[in-house]
Amino acid sequence: MKPKIEDFKNTRFFENFNDKHLEMIANISSIKKFKVEEIIFEQYKELSELYVLLEGSISLGISLPQRKRIHLSTIEEGQLFSWTAVFHPYISTAWVMAVTPVKVIAIDAKKIQKEINNASGLNDCEFGFKFMKKIAQTVSHRLNDTRFQLINQLSL
Amino acid sequence: MSDNPNIYKPIRAKLLEVITESPTIKTFVMEPEEDFSFKTGEFIELTVDGIGEAPFTPSSSPLETKKIEVTVMKTGYVTEYMHNMKAGETLGIRGPFGRGYPIEKFYDKEVLILGGGCGFAPIRSLLYSLAAISDKLRKVTLCYGSKTPDECIYKPYVEQLRNTPKFEVLRTVDIPDETWNESVGVATVLLDKVKVDIKNSVAVCCGPPIMMKFGTIRLLELGFNDDQIYLSMEKNMSCGLGKCGHCMMGKYFVCKDGPVFTYDELKNTPSIWE
Repeated sequence: MKPKIEDFKNTRFFENFNDKHLEMIANISSIKKFKVEEIIFEQYKELSELYVLLEGSISLGISLPQRKRIHLSTIEEGQLFSWTAVFHPYISTAWVMAVTPVKVIAIDAKKIQKEINNASGLNDCEFGFKFMKKIAQTVSHRLNDTRFQLINQLSL
Repeated sequence: MSDNPNIYKPIRAKLLEVITESPTIKTFVMEPEEDFSFKTGEFIELTVDGIGEAPFTPSSSPLETKKIEVTVMKTGYVTEYMHNMKAGETLGIRGPFGRGYPIEKFYDKEVLILGGGCGFAPIRSLLYSLAAISDKLRKVTLCYGSKTPDECIYKPYVEQLRNTPKFEVLRTVDIPDETWNESVGVATVLLDKVKVDIKNSVAVCCGPPIMMKFGTIRLLELGFNDDQIYLSMEKNMSCGLGKCGHCMMGKYFVCKDGPVFTYDELKNTPSIWE
């Protein structure tokens, strides 16, 4: 099912995008649902979709050899996850699991890359700049959270 | 404030109860020999006879004048001794000192509180104050982080707060266990979850310096102005009177000019997170 523009507007990731850009993303996206404890994607797998969490709560973590899954962080509604889907080699660096029933917008990663690279469609670079800026902000948050977590764990 | 004319002389307080909050944190309920009042965010110097003195911000309601509570993490000489104290023993209290939260500036606003670890202690006092004036507030959201579920303090109070109109509590832990069904990650991840009307909000940040640093950065990113962010700074306060210089931070004495500052007041001060 194709998402509505309002679905995007209610998310923090897309809050400043205009209707033209949101319509374009909606055309290459679908709504997906996941059940409790369902794995949305595994670690070290090639990703074909970018996700924005609309409803529910998900857990992001890593798996270590010979050890159970380690939960690192919860992703909250309105946040984007699986950002590595738009960066070569498009491999997930973590696993993501639904903690509650989850509803997401799944964006086709190859098609959004084309739009980012301005290779088709809108022929304006504003979208690509804005989108990558939001991705950078997401990655920056994760980096800061990881530093914070590292300092906590080291009890510095 | 007590009627004690000598600011260096502690008033006596009887230890009524010691509540274990977590493996490293205890709350000490005391009954001062004289009426003792404070404003939320102000701090006291607690004296353990023959051991030493240390600064704490009370965790109880400022509206309660017969009893006072402080919540103490076992981190050093004085606090370790305190953790072995029992009901019936006596402590000394000096103060209150410093500048607390300007509650009247929170009227008609949403209050977003970010806390971590033992930083919940002064926040609980603030929450009691805010609950008393909740008709003048729009909403209060508490985002609280701790390392493990065991280290989450004030569990009964959190449940009580969750049933209080206009109050919302979000919690996270770094390392969850099988019983934990709230968020996972550091305290700042909770700021992704909150929906606040930034223009009509104030934010309060209190906890370990590392949380205050990353929390302030995230609050600024969310759109809070420098003067909308209140920081409760913990610096080696000693005399409580701006004399000894232990707590100097740039041009400020934290014990006299703080411990509550706006980020606007501190942003150009070197090493505020150290």
